Amino acid sequence: MTVIRILLVDDEPDIREVVDVSLGLDPEFKTRACASGADALAMAAEWLPSLILLDVMMPLMDGPTTLANLRKNPRTAHIPVLFLTARTQSGEIAHYISLGAQGVLSKPFDPMTLAASVRSHLPVWADHHAPVEQTT
Amino acid sequence: MSTKLIKAILLVEDNPADARLLREMFNEQGPHNTELTHVDCMSAAEKHLSERAVDMVLLDPGLPDAQGLGAIRRARAAAPRVPLVVLTGFDDETLAEQALQEGAQDYLIKGQIDARGILRALRYATERKRLERLKDEFVSTVSHELRTPLTSISGSLGLLTGNAAGILPDPMARLLAIAHTNSQRLVRLVNDILDIEKMEAGRVVFNFRRTDVRSVVEQAIDANRGFAEGYGVRIRLEDACAAAVDVRADPDRLLQVVTNLLSNAIKFSPANNEVVVAIERGTDMVRLTVRDRGSGIPVDFKPLIFEKFAQADAKDARQKGGTGLGLSIVKQIVDRLSGEVGFADALGGGTIFHVHLPCWDHVASLAIDRDSKPDSVRLLLCEDDLDTALTLREQLRQNGFATDFAYSAGDAFTCAAATQYRAILVDIHLPDGDGISLIVRLRELPQYRDTSIIVISADPNRGREDLRSSKLNVLDWLNKPVDFDRLMRLLLKPVVRANRRPRILHVDEDDIVARALNDIADVVTVNSIEAAQRALKASDFDLAVLDVALANGASLDLLPELRDSKGNVIPVVVFSAQGASLMDVADEQAALAKSHASIDSLVATVRDRLASRPESVSGATA
Repeated sequence: MTVIRILLVDDEPDIREVVDVSLGLDPEFKTRACASGADALAMAAEWLPSLILLDVMMPLMDGPTTLANLRKNPRTAHIPVLFLTARTQSGEIAHYISLGAQGVLSKPFDPMTLAASVRSHLPVWADHHAPVEQTT
Repeated sequence: MSTKLIKAILLVEDNPADARLLREMFNEQGPHNTELTHVDCMSAAEKHLSERAVDMVLLDPGLPDAQGLGAIRRARAAAPRVPLVVLTGFDDETLAEQALQEGAQDYLIKGQIDARGILRALRYATERKRLERLKDEFVSTVSHELRTPLTSISGSLGLLTGNAAGILPDPMARLLAIAHTNSQRLVRLVNDILDIEKMEAGRVVFNFRRTDVRSVVEQAIDANRGFAEGYGVRIRLEDACAAAVDVRADPDRLLQVVTNLLSNAIKFSPANNEVVVAIERGTDMVRLTVRDRGSGIPVDFKPLIFEKFAQADAKDARQKGGTGLGLSIVKQIVDRLSGEVGFADALGGGTIFHVHLPCWDHVASLAIDRDSKPDSVRLLLCEDDLDTALTLREQLRQNGFATDFAYSAGDAFTCAAATQYRAILVDIHLPDGDGISLIVRLRELPQYRDTSIIVISADPNRGREDLRSSKLNVLDWLNKPVDFDRLMRLLLKPVVRANRRPRILHVDEDDIVARALNDIADVVTVNSIEAAQRALKASDFDLAVLDVALANGASLDLLPELRDSKGNVIPVVVFSAQGASLMDVADEQAALAKSHASIDSLVATVRDRLASRPESVSGATA
């Protein structure tokens, strides 16, 4: 079975748990979570997730800064990032996209459809390590 | 309590004696460095408020051009966030009361104004300003701090009621469903409050585009189907018009309008009934209706229906799960969409709400001004608000201008490339980008390098600094609502009317300055007094730029000779290449750029001089 690795970055432990369960509804998703931008940089470089769900407002290193740092590291530069934010104004969404985010999901989200929303943002060959069927 | 936040006061008073008296009292009581500006009529007050930051307005509502409640309303409209203190007559308690209802901060009774009254007014105004600031912070905090726990709560409940953690036994399922529904209601309430606040503060940017009403309506119906089923109500789309109907709208905001109207209709429908949505195309507009079979709107509630937190029956509303903000949001959005919303009793019972929106084709057909006189001077107005655009076009037409509209930065660029406009008015907020980037792109077109550009903005602060520091050569910055007299004064300036590149005579030994000036004018550089004299005989110039160091200061001898072929004085900017010596040129025609080192400031001075040059300056002669 294909495994799609999702890295979740949010400083709220409760939200991490709810997102983890919500994403678990998709059997192909494997989720890991961390609580800060700094942890996210380390974990992303080591685990190489297929996609990163990134909170915007976090202490010390906020989402946009984390994204910029991910882009600086060649190992993580290509990983698609989705922002998860409690502040979604159309202007802000455009701003996040301009920073290079794949998309923006708003909080509160519908937990029953979160996995599907995340999936819709995955590039076609999201998981570089997943077996790819050869067609002739 | 400190009154330091009040730095600028506007006094609107037509009686000079009263004005003098008040000024004296404020000078005694007010905080130091408070600046009091006095105007004697409402139009001057409106102009001042559109141009300057004011911390408090003192208004005598008996003015030559505005009286009583009308004056108070106009002052409030011109500066909704600025504390207003009304000066009333001795026996005018009614007006004082009305003033407070209209949002005035306080009132002072003329003839009884004393130090304590003044101090009180200042303190109240300070407090009001502090509260406005707090409110802004509060709203942005609410957005994040309320939504974060709500995310965990509604997320957990959503997972449980969705059986993501296993099938729930019946009583538990029901109780959790109640908790889930109510957490979602809380989310809606938070969103609605934030929406209303942002819209009232004019902070919502509308992304106008060609929008298919039918698909938006279908989307709203799909999203509300589950909600309707909960009430035992069906939604039916009755489509009198088979073809797609495109309007000019922001699809997200239009979806919000339809959703709010639908959820309202569903909540007030009896079970086993249907809510009917219809779309009809008129000549210039689309009519969207939502009909319910509820008990109708009580007569005494009808005037209040679009008010905030208005609910016909508070108990009823709690049962229905509404926030009391839905229709108020609908009204605010439809107004911004240049549409109209209303309601009527439906035949056979219930209520029918209608929304009229301008058709895309109609709005597009308005873009080119075809009704102005053939010899009109043609302008381009980049403005996404249709009502504002139409009003300005009408006023401009009466003054001999034809005004084409561009509703987006993209449109503006296309229009400008296709037609040579004499001047361009740019709203700083455009749906597909900010006005400043548009100006940057326009300036890259050779034919628009020098065209007059005027910026219009609803937000007096945003972007202004960017513009000031950039070298985009913007003629002026006008706040909304646009002061038309000021706009006309700008448009009548020769820079706008002449539509040719200004010519500069540059007298200097090297051409460093000339290269910088080339961006804004045609420059003729000469390196001697004699050559300058020859150039002056050969053609006319709009401005001369002199290096005082040339020929040991003898270049100043040229000053009396700086006249065009009609004998008009040519303005001159003098600068010193040494940078150290600041020449004090007494001649009033000369403006002095401080040092050669700062070519930017020299260019800025030259630009200002060119913008204010008198109309008599003529074109080049052979």
